[in-house]
Amino acid sequence: MNRRVFLKSSFATLALPALESVAAAIPLKSTIAAQSQAPRRMVCVGNSFGMYPERFFPTETGPHYRMTPLLSPLEKHRNDFTVFSHLDHDIKGGHFSVHSFLSGVKMGDAKGMPEGNITVDQRAAEHVGAATRFPSMTVGSEDGLHGGCQMCWTRTGVRVPPIEGPREMFRKLFINENAKAQEEAADNFALRGTILDAVKDEAKSLERRLSGQDREKLDEYFTSVRDVETNLELDKRWSKVSKPEAPYAEPQDRSLVEDIPVLYDLIAIALKTDSTRVASFEMAGTGFDTSFFGLSSGYHSLSHHGQKPERIESLVEIEMYQMREFAIFLDKLKSIREPDSNGTLLDSTMVLFGSGMGNGNAHVNTDLPIILAGGGFKLGEHKRYPEERGKRVPLCNLYLSMLQQFGVETDTFGISTGTLRDLEVA
Amino acid sequence: MRIYHALLLSALCGSVSVAVSAKTDSIGEHPINAEAFDNHIRPFLKEYCIQCHGPEKQKGERQFDALNYPISDDNALIDYQDILDLLNLGDMPPEDEVQPDPIEKQTVVDWLTAAVADAYHSKEITGGETVLRRLNHREYFNTISDLFQMDMSMFDPTEAFPGERMVEHQDNIGDTLVTSGYLLDQYFDAADRIVEKALPFQEKPEPQSWNFAGDFEQQSELNKRHMVAHKQRYLNIYEAPNTIRRFGAYAPLMAFKEGVPVGGYYKIRTLAEAVNRFHNFNPKKVTNDPEEPMRMRIIPGHKRFGAMHLPQPYAPDLATFELSDNGPSWYTTETWLDQGFSPRFIFLNGSMDIRPAFREVTNLLLANPDPSIPPEELEEDFMAVAIKHGVIPHIRIHEVEISGPYYEEWPTPTWKTIVGKGSFKPSQTRRIIEQFATRAYRRPVQKKEVNRLMAVVDARLDQGHSPFESMKDGLKAALCSPTFLYLEESPVAPEANQLSDYGIASRLSYFLWSSLPDEELLKLAKRNKLSNSTTLKTQVDRMLQDPRSDRFVSGFLDSWLTLRNLGDAPPDRKKFEAYYSDNLEEAMRTETELFTRNALNENLNIDNFIDSDFTFVNEALADLYGFEGIEGDGFQRIDLDDPRRGGLLGQASILTVTANGVDTSPVLRGVWLLENLLGTPPAPPPPDVEPLNPDIRGATTIRDQLAKHRATTACYECHRKIDPLGFALENFDPIGQWRTSYGDRVDIDASGELPSGESFQNVVEFKQALMNRKDAFARALTNKMLAYSLGRRIEIMDRPQIDELLAALEAEGNGLRDLVHLIVSSETFAKP
Repeated sequence: MNRRVFLKSSFATLALPALESVAAAIPLKSTIAAQSQAPRRMVCVGNSFGMYPERFFPTETGPHYRMTPLLSPLEKHRNDFTVFSHLDHDIKGGHFSVHSFLSGVKMGDAKGMPEGNITVDQRAAEHVGAATRFPSMTVGSEDGLHGGCQMCWTRTGVRVPPIEGPREMFRKLFINENAKAQEEAADNFALRGTILDAVKDEAKSLERRLSGQDREKLDEYFTSVRDVETNLELDKRWSKVSKPEAPYAEPQDRSLVEDIPVLYDLIAIALKTDSTRVASFEMAGTGFDTSFFGLSSGYHSLSHHGQKPERIESLVEIEMYQMREFAIFLDKLKSIREPDSNGTLLDSTMVLFGSGMGNGNAHVNTDLPIILAGGGFKLGEHKRYPEERGKRVPLCNLYLSMLQQFGVETDTFGISTGTLRDLEVA
Repeated sequence: MRIYHALLLSALCGSVSVAVSAKTDSIGEHPINAEAFDNHIRPFLKEYCIQCHGPEKQKGERQFDALNYPISDDNALIDYQDILDLLNLGDMPPEDEVQPDPIEKQTVVDWLTAAVADAYHSKEITGGETVLRRLNHREYFNTISDLFQMDMSMFDPTEAFPGERMVEHQDNIGDTLVTSGYLLDQYFDAADRIVEKALPFQEKPEPQSWNFAGDFEQQSELNKRHMVAHKQRYLNIYEAPNTIRRFGAYAPLMAFKEGVPVGGYYKIRTLAEAVNRFHNFNPKKVTNDPEEPMRMRIIPGHKRFGAMHLPQPYAPDLATFELSDNGPSWYTTETWLDQGFSPRFIFLNGSMDIRPAFREVTNLLLANPDPSIPPEELEEDFMAVAIKHGVIPHIRIHEVEISGPYYEEWPTPTWKTIVGKGSFKPSQTRRIIEQFATRAYRRPVQKKEVNRLMAVVDARLDQGHSPFESMKDGLKAALCSPTFLYLEESPVAPEANQLSDYGIASRLSYFLWSSLPDEELLKLAKRNKLSNSTTLKTQVDRMLQDPRSDRFVSGFLDSWLTLRNLGDAPPDRKKFEAYYSDNLEEAMRTETELFTRNALNENLNIDNFIDSDFTFVNEALADLYGFEGIEGDGFQRIDLDDPRRGGLLGQASILTVTANGVDTSPVLRGVWLLENLLGTPPAPPPPDVEPLNPDIRGATTIRDQLAKHRATTACYECHRKIDPLGFALENFDPIGQWRTSYGDRVDIDASGELPSGESFQNVVEFKQALMNRKDAFARALTNKMLAYSLGRRIEIMDRPQIDELLAALEAEGNGLRDLVHLIVSSETFAKP
């Protein structure tokens, strides 16, 4: 049913913009013209089992570190990225805490935090609001071992479900609904509006019959209704704007592993066409078909290598693939000129690569593998932060630096204690 | 001082447990109150801590001299936790300072542990009230199924709903279930799909038929081979479903990709045969078992899930056939297919990995070619040769005929339930809406409520839609209303402490059916009969008799025994092939469900969960357990001579869900046992404990690696309660198979000693020791079931009710069915 596809295109990947930005929802061109520099962009990439530490982290620090095997695909981008040691969220829980990668807060602890467990990408998306058709686009694995990555979370504690394959992403980006589908969509807006009115009244009536904790709980429903109304407005506005032209024919979905290059490509195009300025890519272990690498053991099984050399080699092979594809993605961003500026897309896009798992074999979430590329920062080295307890630096400090560079006016993010020291802007 | 310490030790050994679900009000001699803090904690702090963390110095920015009990605020709680953590780690007092006596320190640690747990707990409680509870996804699914009386085997309206928040593994706790804008949008979507599926048209559609013979397309790597082998004349299935490579595992009708035009019953006739079942190939390479007839199953497929030759989310068994080896025969079935779905064929007991087999078959043939085969044909692609001449075992489908839709009843049950016996007339809209709302809202509806829904109908009419479509939109609005989505468990009068009869009806039906109350329950509620204990008893019996109560069994086991996690950590395919080839995941789940269902039906003593002399198995599970003489897919009850099995701890589902698919962890299993069977979850580990980096190269066993738990006093205090329970189960591998050594090298030692001093050599003796704790088990089970029935956490004020339930249960013989009855007739069940 076309109308559902159309609606999902906006809502499912929509973070909840602040209500003010609804009023500020203006068409594409005037947003860009109003800015004196290229808009800031952000991409976050994560997997659920981490990287084999012994082959990931360099030994030396500074700009002249020796490339490790897992970083070697990025050799030609050496000046454009920094790898960080000993950053994490000081959290335990193994697989069950991987979802805190981009927030620093476990979902169970979200209620006690002022911004819940909102992730850095969603915080940035809030800032963009309705300036682009999609405040953010999340792609990758919906599920996986113990829920998979569950990488992106909104302010209200909702996990943003990812677009799972290239076909859906392509359709969201380029396929304008034909006239019939547009009519159906408009009709669906009308139906939703009508139902919303009815259920709002119903809720008010129910509220009068409740008291105490029950009444408070019903508040969630009222908030939900308001959110749906807001997004309905946005959907209606954007439905009148044409999508950019498709660069090639609609791709078919194959499998996560095989589709990684295509998904990266579509993310690059999404940024280039300003369809979105915030993208995330989550790769969960269980969707990873290891037969693609000619391996018969599963990814999760290999991440528990138990120090057996053959298993480590197999695990690293899977990880090398991820790193090579990431390097190609950076190539792409570098090859695209940023319109109205002298730089490339990589200069205006900060790219974070990492995981909420530090060591898959031991199930620890400390010493996470973190890479930051592009975005206008001064990069090109291996930065090692203190290891000793009491002196450790929160990973959220990096996120705060990223957000400030993105243009968000804030002094805190998650469990940050400030911006990341020694990380400068170019 | 000496005597005091000795007394304390003995009290600690037996009873130190921090149950999250019930408040501990004393630790040995020291209750958790201000007096105990002043007399025992404050002096400890003064002697060992305040010097550096007090008014004069605040090392590490920490100051403890103002600490008190009760814990005044969150910052004080953080301080308590801090002190506790560092004492546990042994990091404080610093090495070069005076150390406290170990027993004295342990007393303080235990007291602080209990105080902290209480503080966290009291932040969560809802005062013994079920907070406005929305239907969880499971309940929503069942409610839609019952409301619309339609086939749900390939339709899940909750498929895109965000995951639920659990509390202690329970998925129906009111105050934790969240509603969000995203979910509300999903509800709109779902309502749309549901109503469109339920009432797609007004006129009975004319049946059509389709025939498929030849020109069968499958997956690209097979198509070219099939072209050579038989010009794509046949549809071939080689592999079992859910293999690694999925090579010829799902055979679709690509020419029928769009699927059936409307939902309905379709007659599917398949001309099929088993080819070369009695092969003589090397069984290690060509793994099709000649002993078993080839079994073909029909499942649905939809193009929206992507490739039709790969696994898809919906795979219900539409029909299963044992194929004849004597040439093609027609196999017929009539089955429901939703709009857009088309049949696909799978080979249940096919090969687990067919690719290597092609080479084997062809090489054998080439070594000894049959002279009647034209030599040039032997030079074709090796797979084509294996198929055409080899002959590699496979299921061969010659022709498929599909006709329909047919309807067993017309109008359909769904139509009759929602619209009525005849056709739709616009004048009936209000009646239809009102009737639907009454059932959906689970109580009589007010005129205003119907008016609101009719306002939607009228608006849609104004927007140019037909009366039929507008009526449907009114139904959709009801499904998005909070009155449908939330259980309004309102009291009989404002401020009263008694649920209304309609409230009881819903609570009962969501407890025992995970769905809305039926007509009989609503009638009784109308006549205010549901507060009567005899009526309640009769209803419970009626409801347990109804097949809908199977949802209670599976819903409760999902929560109580965490069985919803079964399948989350898929076991390694190489080491545990049987898990996949024998469909063990489904089988082990069925065993535990049947076991529980049986205990419910026959009101068996709940001790059977701890240990029993019977269980339920099919052939695959019997093989796993090493039992002979059981054949076939069907389940049967067997008596157990083998004391290792019996009770939950001998069941593969439990043993698999407490492992991670790769290896076993006594700590994980021990914690699971403590949490779910004994109701005494251990305190969480302190932060910064050096993690276990498993090393499976060497000869160290898991017991050796966990030796560190015994070396440190602080660790030992908790781990002496956890580890032994897990060791008892070490003879069971990650999928519940019995093993006597780790990898044929190191013998397994399943012995242990419980904190009480009881020791055991193996799981059989361990289960005997558990029998001595059956009171704890009964309490844990009762807590869980009561929580499940109420949709809220069990709290301090519930303790007297639980005590009463347990006493009554014991008096009646500890029967599982009796427990259900006792819960329903309890005072608490009738409270809002």
